[in-house]
Amino acid sequence: MLHTKIFRKSILPALAAGLFLAGCKKEEYALPVPKDVLQNDVIKRTLGPNIVGQQIEFAYAMAILPEKGKLVSAQVEASIAGANGTYLENNAYYTNGSGQDVGVPVAEPSVTSGNTTSVTYNVDTFAATLRYYYVIPEEARGKQVSFTFSAKSDDGETVSYKMGPYTIATMDMVRKLNVSNGAAAYISIADMKVYDEAGAAANPDKIDLVYVYYADPDVIFNHALVSPAADAQYLPGVDLPAGVNKSTKVQKVFNLQDYNLAQSQYGIYIDDLDFEKLDLSNAPDFAINLKAEAGVWAETSDGKYRAYIYFNSVNNGSKSAVISMKRYTMSGK
Amino acid sequence: MKTYIITIAVSLLALAGCKKDYPVDEDGLLITTRAECYVSNFELLGTDFVTVRNGAAVIDTVAQTINVEVLYGTDLKNLYPQFTLVTDAKLDPKITGKVDFSDLDHPKIYTVVSGNRKVRKPYTVYITVQPR
Repeated sequence: MLHTKIFRKSILPALAAGLFLAGCKKEEYALPVPKDVLQNDVIKRTLGPNIVGQQIEFAYAMAILPEKGKLVSAQVEASIAGANGTYLENNAYYTNGSGQDVGVPVAEPSVTSGNTTSVTYNVDTFAATLRYYYVIPEEARGKQVSFTFSAKSDDGETVSYKMGPYTIATMDMVRKLNVSNGAAAYISIADMKVYDEAGAAANPDKIDLVYVYYADPDVIFNHALVSPAADAQYLPGVDLPAGVNKSTKVQKVFNLQDYNLAQSQYGIYIDDLDFEKLDLSNAPDFAINLKAEAGVWAETSDGKYRAYIYFNSVNNGSKSAVISMKRYTMSGK
Repeated sequence: MKTYIITIAVSLLALAGCKKDYPVDEDGLLITTRAECYVSNFELLGTDFVTVRNGAAVIDTVAQTINVEVLYGTDLKNLYPQFTLVTDAKLDPKITGKVDFSDLDHPKIYTVVSGNRKVRKPYTVYITVQPR
């Protein structure tokens, strides 16, 4: 009881007073003092796996106090030279009231020489953010790439920022291939192409799957990806060219709208690891009743390739579909 | 006085919390007094987690059978069965992933175990494929 009394009479008021005082304390606001040196910062704007042939986008910001000088040049050095199309933007962007990015030219178009891409400013500016687009070259496949961003000001200062290393995916990607029943229906995972009947007859060993559309009166068949070696009942109306006889394993998937393939709002990415961990040992050799935004995991008969084939859209009227594919080459095959 | 009452109440509550009123089974699930033992609903999903049933499953709780017709072209080797059971019951064997239903001549048998773990009823799952 004594303890309670002490607590009530002395500690509690002290605590309350402390809290009151702390709450009332007024911290004076002081304007932050900017650093008087050339500064820079980088963010990577692209997400997901880095796929050969695709871009990695960065935004490179640099600034100096206006009374100290202006920007002279900016450059990016990649550890592996970018493929054709790699460039450093010569526009600085601002976002207008409608949320759109509007470019203001601030420099000469970028010049790429070997691993280095650079721009030289041609307007007096002390702060700019430039976008850098690195097109991933074939030689970077499965390797790591890192970047050094640097800027110069006219008072002789230089500053740099390192980004990476980033792992470049082993997989390949192809988007928006048109397939149609009875015409461009023969899909080659090895070539990542679609062949018509004549093309399939010329390359029978490369045909892994056949696209079929069939409106069955009794059962739901519709859009299907069927292995040439599958039971004939799953290839209605298909007369396979001679030699087209591979058995490809396929497994139906729904709700896997990979961002790279679907290019829609879903932030889902299929990466090399997904293919490595895939187990299709028990999978069938056909998949029927495929819908838009559905897909299949596939593995070629020789086990060399694993792929994810995504249906961007389907058209029952024209018996056709638009498909996209990510393909992974298994190591050691 | 108030402090004492609160202290006693908290101690009592703590003791009550520790008291083991109900036994648990080998899975750590509560063994209750319920003796009901049946399947109330059955679902079958494909690898894309979309149903492969062609119509509702027919559950006979007397004969202890589940008859389900699956869509033409269903991959019977890779299916996810889902059982809805009466309150407190559990299933044996447990479903841990994909199940191979392709051997139609040897239908799978799942046993429902009642809440008091004293009643066991085996249910046979008969699958037929929609004819074309």
